[in-house]
Amino acid sequence: MASSAAYLDADENLEAIISHIEQKSRKIETLLKQSKPVEALKTALEGSPLKTRDERCKSANWIVVHRAMMAIRDVDGMFNSLDPEYYDILMKYLYRGLSTGDRPTCDQCLKIHEKLTEKAGLGCILRSLADTVNTV
Amino acid sequence: MCLQNFPCQEVERHNKPEVELKTSPELLLNPVLICRNEAEKCLIETSINSIRISLKVKQADELENILAKKFLRFLSMRAEAFQVLRRKPVQGYDISFLITNYHCEDMHKHKLIDFIVQFMEDIDKEISELKLSVNTRGRLVATEFLKQFI
Repeated sequence: MASSAAYLDADENLEAIISHIEQKSRKIETLLKQSKPVEALKTALEGSPLKTRDERCKSANWIVVHRAMMAIRDVDGMFNSLDPEYYDILMKYLYRGLSTGDRPTCDQCLKIHEKLTEKAGLGCILRSLADTVNTV
Repeated sequence: MCLQNFPCQEVERHNKPEVELKTSPELLLNPVLICRNEAEKCLIETSINSIRISLKVKQADELENILAKKFLRFLSMRAEAFQVLRRKPVQGYDISFLITNYHCEDMHKHKLIDFIVQFMEDIDKEISELKLSVNTRGRLVATEFLKQFI
């Protein structure tokens, strides 16, 4: 009962989530124009719809995160300013990127993945494998 | 790779690799798909007592396509000898490995992983070599055959 109630809340919030993602997308475009890709990625990662099961929200957020991720050139600099709480979410998005099969995306994802594993350790990878509640 | 023995929940006295059956979602982890590019990918699915690794190897042209298919079919037919190989690859992939907790008990885990990584490294080399030898043989045969018409 409790879990179905949680999903009902999510349904009502779907429209809210999608409008939130659109707002984020606009903010990210402005940040990218100002050449602040790290800020853009941070904005993209926070407020990610992890609990909802709706594919549209997840795809919409993925597109936003993807846009921010591809704009990043300096991976080491990015990690200096990214908070550790975002490491897990970033790892999950990296795996989603690796599954697309698109060459530039995969190259970028592999680059970031290598550095992220150094920073966050193997636990981060394992959490992205084992977490079935918060999915990307 | 932490695999442990897990007897089947539905049927008494049965012990099945859960990754193959996928009957209980609580026993499975998220599958991970890693694509190096459009042609090559690797799917890793895990569960409490088994892991399934499926590979799709690079096939640049028709000849490599045929060679890869034949070579990997040759290996899959002899899956008994490899123990960790699956007889049929998963739909959409060229070859699949199935590692169960029994394999982990009998063999060293790091060696199993080394084996799979080595396999992935060697497979491309093998297929290139095969392609080279086919082309060389074809060229020799054609030269010999057409000499009589000179």
